[in-house]
Amino acid sequence: MAPRLSPAATLEKALAERRVLVTCGSGGVGKTTTAAALALRAARNGRRVLVCTIDPSRRLATSLGKGQLSGRPRAIEMRTLAPARGGALFAMMLDVKGTFDALVARHTPDPAARDRILKNRFYQHISAALAGSHEYMAMEKLLELTQDERFDLVVLDTPPTRHALDFLEAPDRLLAFLDVGVLRFFLRPYFVAGRLTMKVATRTGAALLKIADRFMGLQFLQELSEFFLAFEGMYDGFRARAAEVHALLRAPSTGFLLVAGPQPQALEEALFFHRRLAEKRMSFVGFLVNRVHTDPARERGARRGGRVVLDPELAALLATTLREQQVLARVERRAIARLQVDTRERPVLVPELEQDVHDLRGLATFAELVFGTAPERVAAGATR
Amino acid sequence: MLLDSLLARRLVVLTGKGGVGKSVVGAALALAARERGKRVLLVEVAAPLEASRRLGGPPSRGRETEASPGLFTLNLEPQTVMDEYVRHVVKLDLVARRVLASPIYHRFFAAAPGLKELMVLGKIMVLEEARKSVSREPVWDLIVVDAPATGHGLAYLKVPLAASRAVPVGPIGHNARRVLRMLRDPARTALVLVAAPEEMAVVEAVELHRAAEGDVGIEPQAVVLNGCHERRFSDEDEAEILRLASSGATGDIEPGVPLEAAVRAARRQVRRRKLTRFYRDRLRRSLATPLVSLPFLFRETLGVPELRLLARALEAA
Repeated sequence: MAPRLSPAATLEKALAERRVLVTCGSGGVGKTTTAAALALRAARNGRRVLVCTIDPSRRLATSLGKGQLSGRPRAIEMRTLAPARGGALFAMMLDVKGTFDALVARHTPDPAARDRILKNRFYQHISAALAGSHEYMAMEKLLELTQDERFDLVVLDTPPTRHALDFLEAPDRLLAFLDVGVLRFFLRPYFVAGRLTMKVATRTGAALLKIADRFMGLQFLQELSEFFLAFEGMYDGFRARAAEVHALLRAPSTGFLLVAGPQPQALEEALFFHRRLAEKRMSFVGFLVNRVHTDPARERGARRGGRVVLDPELAALLATTLREQQVLARVERRAIARLQVDTRERPVLVPELEQDVHDLRGLATFAELVFGTAPERVAAGATR
Repeated sequence: MLLDSLLARRLVVLTGKGGVGKSVVGAALALAARERGKRVLLVEVAAPLEASRRLGGPPSRGRETEASPGLFTLNLEPQTVMDEYVRHVVKLDLVARRVLASPIYHRFFAAAPGLKELMVLGKIMVLEEARKSVSREPVWDLIVVDAPATGHGLAYLKVPLAASRAVPVGPIGHNARRVLRMLRDPARTALVLVAAPEEMAVVEAVELHRAAEGDVGIEPQAVVLNGCHERRFSDEDEAEILRLASSGATGDIEPGVPLEAAVRAARRQVRRRKLTRFYRDRLRRSLATPLVSLPFLFRETLGVPELRLLARALEAA
């Protein structure tokens, strides 16, 4: 076996070779920043990269230092960070409704069928407003983006852990949801008869009808059955799409980076996600532990020596301040060590930054902390 | 003051960007209310690591579970809430079991977008409206809900409105409107935004505030800024720290406390407290909502003693 690469080198290799890199993790750990910084890094190394956030809270725009991102990839001007050649950076935010509409348009046989769905009230509301459709559509978009010739790497940011799992299961759930064949047997009678008169063959079916009626009411069921009937002709197309997504997520050209905070709880969640990825046979690229607090006494230049006499009050405050930060560093160090033991993976550690990252320059600095160096082509770029 | 205003309602919903410490703030708020003698229920939605762990109680396993006298936790799993509803509608146990085992149920009810969110909110409404059988007094003096992180948290709050529009008539629309009325009624519900002194958390809190008011019609009652670093050194001390940093002096200021490390730590503290001030000012400028600061805790663990500290800070606000 070849010698194992360092965690940062493994990540650098993934950025150079893979076609899809998905950043996952719980909330507030800097996933979006990481996704954007890695995308910028790959672009500076000469790849044509698209970074896409599916997070409905629209954070990517902030870290790219721009106003609102839209549902279409937009080139990001890299200015002084520009690569020597070839590389380009694009960013976009998932437009759930737009993606859903496009999906419907692609799979409907004619404009009349398309409009029947697009104008269905149930469709209009589920496609845009509700939780869940984000994940359905993110997968659809990912597939479309990887087939786009303009990009050779797509870096995908995801919502927090629990939902990131939803996201991985989205294609299967979408299929299950739209499987008209199964649903029709208790929905169609409503559509046809318009009132609650029909008989159902099984007691389970009757009970399901009862729940549906109690909970949703007749009108809802009518809308719903119209919705499903409109989807009927599209099911095969959807199934084919979902199978492609399934394959894409498990392709060797797709990798998952787990981003976590250094707190014990955040690392526990990362561990949980690591297991799930293995179960689903998805390719794990590495852990990135972000905003690690270092112990000021363990850093370079913290020499011990004779006694220094300070104002006693100031000395006491200084000592308290140091001890606090040492506690924090110790808690995090232990949690990281535990993750390492549990997973046999060495994480990439990124120390807390002096400044919040919210522009391209900050993203470049972040990447340098991850990889320890500036991108290799920057020097070449300088002589351009 | 703040606590008085929040406790005038019986439902407090917390929301904010992931990682800002929403669940810790929720537990602290529940504890603060408990210390005022209230009977409190802390509700989480599909929390992977439950608040009961911090409060020293057993895991809730989908039921109201007493963590300490008068303080209960409940971790709602949407699927369980849904199954519970099915058992409620279908009285016959055998049939209910068949429904729950049926693939149609799982494919449709479990996968229908928005249905689970609506069920969870409906369950919270049932808890809020629950009355004791004899006295007719509310079962819960206060229910604190730790809603999922912003993007999804807001999606949660948007569900009743979307559902009531998608299906104006029938039970689903009716229930969605009841939930919405509860959430929008400032006498019943207080929405609290939780943020941290960081760029993205602040941006998101401001965005969330706007969306809650504009898109959902709920006015947030307070912003909790969690993880604040306050001033520790006077101006003269800060100047002295800078001087020490540039002097290159080495040695110990106390046994085991090297000067260089302590100065480095102090400069970090100063930088963090300046960031706290910067972001607090920005929140104050952007939002007219009352703001409460909670301190960052440098602790080995986050259990009851630490939550008490935060509860006291909430009480003092």
